Amino acid sequence: MPTYIFIALLAPFIMLSSVTYGASKLPATVKVNPEALTSEPMCDPVIAPSWREAQEIEGVKIEASPVCSPDNPAWIAAAVKGTNNISMDTLMKTGLSPDAIIKTDDIDGDGDPDRITIRLEIMELNGKSPDFPGIVPTFDIAPGIQPGAWVFSPKMSGMSTENFESIRANPLLRLPSPVIRVEVGDIVQIVLENTHYFPHSIHLHGVDHPFAHHEHGGQDGVPQTSEIELMPGDRRVYQFQARQPGTMFYHCHVQTHTHLAMGLAGMIIIEENKPNNWLQTLNIGAGHVRHPSVAVREHYDQEYDLHYHAMDKELGQIIQRHNDPRLIARDMNQRYDITDSTEDYYTLNGLSFPYTLRESLIVVEPDQKIKLRLLNSGGELIAIHTHGHHATITHYDGVEHNPVAQIMRDVFDMAPAQRLDLKLETVNDGKHSYGEGDWLIHDHREKGITTNGMAEGGSMSSIVYKSYLGESNMPKVSHFGIDLNKYFTKEYYERRLPVWQDLDEWSSLGSPGEGSGLEDKTQTSLIYGVIGLLSGLMFYWIFSKRKSITQVMLGTISRINASKGSNQ
Amino acid sequence: MNRNILSLLIAGALTASIYAVAQPKDTINDEHAHHDHSNHSIEQHKEQPTDQNQDHSHHNEHQHSSDHAISHEHDHAMDHSQHTTHSPEHSVSGADDHHHHHMDHDHIMDHEGTMIMGQNFDKLPSSCQSISEEVEITVRAGRKYSAKFPGTAFAFDQQQWKVKPCSKITWHFVNEDNIRHQFMMHGLPKYLYKLGMFHLEVTGPKTVSGTMIVPGKDETFLVHCDISHHMEKGMKAQLVVGKGGTDIPSIPGLTPYNLTDTYEAENLPKVGDKVESSKMVRQITQFTSDNLQTYGMMLIGILLGLLCIPFIKGILKLRKKTENNN
Repeated sequence: MPTYIFIALLAPFIMLSSVTYGASKLPATVKVNPEALTSEPMCDPVIAPSWREAQEIEGVKIEASPVCSPDNPAWIAAAVKGTNNISMDTLMKTGLSPDAIIKTDDIDGDGDPDRITIRLEIMELNGKSPDFPGIVPTFDIAPGIQPGAWVFSPKMSGMSTENFESIRANPLLRLPSPVIRVEVGDIVQIVLENTHYFPHSIHLHGVDHPFAHHEHGGQDGVPQTSEIELMPGDRRVYQFQARQPGTMFYHCHVQTHTHLAMGLAGMIIIEENKPNNWLQTLNIGAGHVRHPSVAVREHYDQEYDLHYHAMDKELGQIIQRHNDPRLIARDMNQRYDITDSTEDYYTLNGLSFPYTLRESLIVVEPDQKIKLRLLNSGGELIAIHTHGHHATITHYDGVEHNPVAQIMRDVFDMAPAQRLDLKLETVNDGKHSYGEGDWLIHDHREKGITTNGMAEGGSMSSIVYKSYLGESNMPKVSHFGIDLNKYFTKEYYERRLPVWQDLDEWSSLGSPGEGSGLEDKTQTSLIYGVIGLLSGLMFYWIFSKRKSITQVMLGTISRINASKGSNQ
Repeated sequence: MNRNILSLLIAGALTASIYAVAQPKDTINDEHAHHDHSNHSIEQHKEQPTDQNQDHSHHNEHQHSSDHAISHEHDHAMDHSQHTTHSPEHSVSGADDHHHHHMDHDHIMDHEGTMIMGQNFDKLPSSCQSISEEVEITVRAGRKYSAKFPGTAFAFDQQQWKVKPCSKITWHFVNEDNIRHQFMMHGLPKYLYKLGMFHLEVTGPKTVSGTMIVPGKDETFLVHCDISHHMEKGMKAQLVVGKGGTDIPSIPGLTPYNLTDTYEAENLPKVGDKVESSKMVRQITQFTSDNLQTYGMMLIGILLGLLCIPFIKGILKLRKKTENNN
C-alpha cells in the first residue's frame, strides 16, 4: 500500500513539472523544405531560344527580343504579311486560321496593303467542365493562379488546348486580347465570330469609326444605342477607315461591367500613314513590338505595348462554379454586384509577377528612346511608377499633347480606359535615367503589387538594362544574393510559404510551427486535472482512515468536554 | 396529414425520375431514324446552290450496299451532282487560285481554314478483314440544335450514330452557324490515324466531307467540337461501333453528366402577381398563405377537441359515480 500511494503522488508531480517546463520554452522554427514546393523553372523551357534572335521570316524583319518568352516569330511574320500572303509552312507554325488576317489592295499606291480584315473569336479560359472537377482550358496568370476569363483571340485553327492530352490553353488563347495595329486610311474590317456561349460585341473606344455602316449596320457595339447583341454562333463586321492616329482601346460593350473585367478588352493602335508601312497587325500577348511602324522607327529605338488590367476573383469564379450558361448568366447579370466588388488580380499584358519577368520586361540599352503605349483597362485609377527614370508624356488618349507643354513624370496616373504614350529616354543624366540597373516599373497603389493581396505579385515588371540580364534572359539579381525562385511556386501564392524564412541561416522569421509548447487552454485544463486527482486521493485517504479519524475526533471532543467539565 | 403530403411528393419525384430515366431511351430510339436524312440532303443541296465544287466522281466509286442505312442515300444518287463531298485529290474548295492549299497525306486545309485531318479511304484496321459496309452520314452543327437541350449553347443535330464494325464512313459535316465548328473523333487506332484523331473543321455556313474506316471491335468513340467550351456547352456526341463500349459521359439528352450544377428556385415575377395587384387581396393572400399551417393545426385541434367531448363526458360521469359510491 505505501508504494501505491507513493506512485500516485509522484504522477501528478511529474505532470505538473512537465506543464511548467513546456510553458517556459517557445516552439521551434519550422523551415519549409524546398523539396516540398512545386517549383517551376523561372524561364519556361517550352520556348525555342532561336525565337529571341533578330531574324527575317517571309521577308519580314523581326527585332531581337532578349526575354525569356518572346513572341513566336511566325506570329509576327503572319501579322505583318497577313495570313493570306505567307507560306503554308509559316502559317502552320502560327496555329492561326488561314483567314485570320487578310491583307490586300494597295489603294493609295504607297507600297503597303490598305484593305485589312482581322477575324477575332471569343474564347473562354479557366471555365468549368462537366466531365471532371477541374477547369479548361487552363491559363495561369501567376503560379497556380487561374482566374476564369474571356478573351478576344485571333481566329485560329485546330484544338483549343495544346493537345488532346493537355488541358493547357493553346498559346494563341491567352490574356490579354491581342493588340491591333492598323494605319490611318486603311479600310479595316474587324470580323467578330462569336464562338462564345454568350452574346458579345466590339466597341472601338477612341477609334474614328462610323456610328452605322450602310452594309454592316450599327458599329458602336452598344446594345442600347447602335445594335443588338451578337449572339453565339453569329458573325458581325465592324468596318472603319480611321482619319486620326493614336493609341486606342477596344472592348465588348455587352454587360460591360462584367465582360470588360473578364478580359474582353484590348489595345488598338492607329499608326500614321507612311509609305511601305507594313504593320504588325496583331501583337499577340502585347508587350515588345518586334516590327514597329515606319513612324515609330523614325523617332524611337524600341516600342512596347503595356496593357494594365484588373480582375475580380469572385467574378471569375462564376464560370468555374456553373457549367449551365443560364446559371452563369443569372449569377453575372443579376447576382453579381460590382458596387460591392473588389479587384484581386492586377496584370500587365495578361500576367502577374513573377510571370511578367518572363515576357514583359522592358529591355533597354543606354541612350535609347523607347516608346511605351499604356492602357488601363481595370476598373480603378492606377499610378504607374518607373524606378530610376522620368518619362515624357507625349499623348493622352491617342491625341498628341502640345510638344511645348509636354511634361516629365515618374508616376503616371491613368483613369479607367485611359491611354498614355510615353517617351522613355535612357540617358544617364540624373533626370531621364539614373543609370543602368534592373529598375522596377509598377503600379504604386500598393495593392497593385499584390496577387489576391499577396505580395510580391500584381502588375509589376522591370526596366532592365542589358548589362543586368542574366541566365535565360531573366533579370540578373543573384549577385545581390537575391533568389526569385520562391515566387515560382504555387505554395507562395497559396500563402503557405513564410516569405522571410530564407533571410538568415536560422530562419529567425520563419514559421513557428505548433511543436513542443502547450497551448494556454490545455495547460490550465491539465492543472485542473491535477488538482482534481489530488483531491480525489485526499478523499480516498480520508475514507480509508475514517475509523482512526473518528476515534481521534471523538477523543478530542471528549477531551474538550472533559476539560470543560473540569473547569466547572 | 403531413405523411400524406410526403408520400404524394415521393410518388411525384419517382414518376419524374422514371420519366428522366426514360428520356434518354426515347432519344436513343430516335437515333434509329438517323440514317434517314434524305430530307436533309435535299435541304442541304438547296441551301448551297452556288457551291462550285461539284465533284461526284468520288461517289461513283462507292459500291453502295443495299443496307437500309444508306439506301436513302442511294435513292438520291442523282443529287450527288451538287454534293460537297471531296475526294483526296480535290481539296475542300477549288475556287481560289491566289490562296494556298495545304495538302499532305492526312492534312488538307483551304484558304478559309476548312480542314480534313486523318482521312482514310483504304487502310484497313488490323481488326478488319474487309470493309463491312459503306455509309454516308450527314452531321449538322449549330446553335439551333441546342434548343432542345436546355442549359446548352451549341449542339450537333444527332448525339449518337451507330455503325457496323469495319464500316467505311463518309461524314458530311454541315456547319450551319457563322463561326468555326469541328467534328473531331478521338481514340482511333494511332497506327492509322495521327494522334488517334479524325477531324473535320469548317467555318459556316459551309460543308466539309471526309472518309474514314472504323476498327473491327465493339467500341464507342467520342465526337466533339474542341473550340473552347463548345463540348462543355453541348457539342458532344458518340459513334457506336457494333454493340459499342462504355458510353461517353455528359452527352446532352443521352448520357448523364459527371458533374451537375445545382439549381434552386428563383423569385421570378409571375403573371399571377399582376392579377392580384389589389393591395388588399395581396395582403390577405399573403396572410393566409403565411398562416395556413397555423390555422390548419388549429383546425385539427378543434376537431380533436370535439372528438374528445364524449370521452370527457364519460370520465366526468364515472367520477360522479365513484363520488356517489363513496
